[in-house]
Amino acid sequence: MVGKDCVAIACDLRLGLQALTVSNNFPKIFQYGDNVFLGLTGLATDLSTVSDLFRYKVNMYRLREERNIAPKTFANLVSSSLYEKRFGPYFVSPVVAGLDPKTSKPFICGFDSIGCIDFAADFIVSGTATDQLYGMCESLWEPNLAPEDLFETISQALMSAVDRDALSGWGAHVYIIEKDKVTKRLLKGRQD
Amino acid sequence: MADRYSFSLTTFSPSGKLVQIEYALNAVNQGVTALGIKATNGIVLATEKKSSSPLADPSSLSKISLITPNIGMVYSGMGPDYRVLVDKARKVSHTGYKRIYNEYPPTRILVQDVARVMQEATQSGGVRPYGVSLLIAGWDEGILPEEDEEKEAEEGAGGDEKKKPSGKTGGILKGGPMLYQVDPSGSYFPWKATAIGKSATTAKTFLEKRYTEGLELEDAVHIALLTLKETIEGEMNGETIEIGIVGPPADHLLGVEGVEGARGPRFRKLTPQEIEDYLTNL
Amino acid sequence: MAMFSQNPLMNGPNYSFGDAPKIGAPEGAREHRFDPYTDNGGSTLAIAGADFAIMAGDTRLTSGYSINSRHHPKVFKIGGTTADQHDATIVLSVVGFAADGEALKERLDSICKMYRYRHGKPMNVKACAQRLSTILYQKRFFPYYAYAILGGLDEEGKGAVYSYDPVGSYEREQCRAGGAAASLIMPFLDNQVNFKNQYVPGSGEGHALQERERRPLSRNEVEILVKDAFDGAVERHIEVGDGLQMMVITSNGVEEILLPLKKD
Repeated sequence: MVGKDCVAIACDLRLGLQALTVSNNFPKIFQYGDNVFLGLTGLATDLSTVSDLFRYKVNMYRLREERNIAPKTFANLVSSSLYEKRFGPYFVSPVVAGLDPKTSKPFICGFDSIGCIDFAADFIVSGTATDQLYGMCESLWEPNLAPEDLFETISQALMSAVDRDALSGWGAHVYIIEKDKVTKRLLKGRQD
Repeated sequence: MADRYSFSLTTFSPSGKLVQIEYALNAVNQGVTALGIKATNGIVLATEKKSSSPLADPSSLSKISLITPNIGMVYSGMGPDYRVLVDKARKVSHTGYKRIYNEYPPTRILVQDVARVMQEATQSGGVRPYGVSLLIAGWDEGILPEEDEEKEAEEGAGGDEKKKPSGKTGGILKGGPMLYQVDPSGSYFPWKATAIGKSATTAKTFLEKRYTEGLELEDAVHIALLTLKETIEGEMNGETIEIGIVGPPADHLLGVEGVEGARGPRFRKLTPQEIEDYLTNL
Repeated sequence: MAMFSQNPLMNGPNYSFGDAPKIGAPEGAREHRFDPYTDNGGSTLAIAGADFAIMAGDTRLTSGYSINSRHHPKVFKIGGTTADQHDATIVLSVVGFAADGEALKERLDSICKMYRYRHGKPMNVKACAQRLSTILYQKRFFPYYAYAILGGLDEEGKGAVYSYDPVGSYEREQCRAGGAAASLIMPFLDNQVNFKNQYVPGSGEGHALQERERRPLSRNEVEILVKDAFDGAVERHIEVGDGLQMMVITSNGVEEILLPLKKD
């Protein structure tokens, strides 16, 4: 979710096999630099494969280019990596959020499982609570939210959305990304 | 047979030299001189287009090539080898970078990729080293936040920025013009100004005298032509000289107008007419 | 209340209209079948206030990707003395299969009218709610494919909203969204009407936090919520749009408001 000179990314903590809850502390957000974040939903085994793959790719990029990867570059890397598996895709729908290191402009985008990028100026949602999140974000989000307001907006949107989805919930992680600061907060949610 | 027993032709001599590479360098040193000068706001690459016969049509001959919109190169040595390298450089800049990151490689990355191609020819079976040296010129976007650029230049990651605060050109952090030479061995060097080919030594001595810090692109073109004049064998005109520049985005080469955020290529070749204009002011 | 859950399962296409793959009949055989239902899309919403209730629905009617009508009401006054319903006190909204919704409305309306003529007084909303459930359950094995919401004022004059599944299971609630965009609107209502996930600042940490106390919303606040909910739904659901029809039920009768929504 985009704010004024800041972005936020949040995830719930549930891991389940259909209706069976397997874990209630399973974060889905990964950091790939000072201000590049990847959120992953989908098949858990692909989540760890994909997150590790990008850890490797981003580390190689950093060594080769002697610089951190920019969110937009990372997004294109995600896209091309997913499309490489066009006919045997990873079952994930990633979300990228970050601040451009040069301009400090917020950047967010989402992908389908084969890498088609959805650039958005406001918010990106993904996962089993997609419908609920769209409804929440569309009605709660407004342009130019300050970091604290953005935190409140994304938290309320996520918590209310997952409460109406049986397959999501069990608390949340919220990252607020500002120019020289990243704030991570843990939210307690309904434990059912 | 060949695919089962293909021994490398480039093997060490007892004294520790790879003579095949030295021979390749000899080929380079017989080639037509090419030179490059880095300015604060751009780079100039220049060379002579020498035709073996007065019947040859020089307008169809081209020694300076565009690799990406912001990177171009010139060579000294064997023309056919150069064309293979141009093809490979263009290809690797897409397969190895643009298709992955949806942006063109920074100059150093492209130089490394080309250098790898050349190095592999010194260690693979059944091949000979490339008989060319390259000058690769490009413009990189920096990665530092705009407002931090000045500050970081002083503080620096390792403090070595402090020693050269005037270093306005190039560098991964700040971006700007970058000029590299790549040799048949696969080694590469960043330069402020250099020359390769037959009269490289003469040209470099001349450049050492003429080069100053804080050079502007227009001055660099001027110096390039003066240097070329020292070494050139034939007549100097728009048809016999080839110049490529890295400068401000050439939006007129974009082909379209009104596309927001679209930037023209920074690397472009000067037309014979533009070269003539510079020559009359020499 | 799983029966109210309209979240599409994530193992199929994410559209509310039927998109199931057709089963191929064996070679040479012709498959005949009767498919009496269509999903005509659209969404409804009802919120009960302290002394009023608001029923709302969009006015788009779709089948598949086609828009059949941009002004087809889903919210109806029920049980007035005459056909113009000028003295009606109960409002019914239906979403799902438009023909079934229409039939259900007609049936409930005539029942309410009969009640009024026989008893000389309008039916109260609680009785009407029970009667609607009976109507729906009578067709348990060939149901009206309609998600109904009934709104009115109870005996104490408080806003009342009753929501139904297609076979008559029902519940009185503070608010309810139905239809195609129910999954988009419902969490918003939880958050903004019932103040779910809102806590008193500084009242503790984690589960010790004190929930924000619920308070009855004013009519103006509810109208704004309804508009915001539909603006959000219109943006993200293709079957919702064109017009927003709102019925405000107060002790002074039923007021109808028509507002434009995006038509794309």
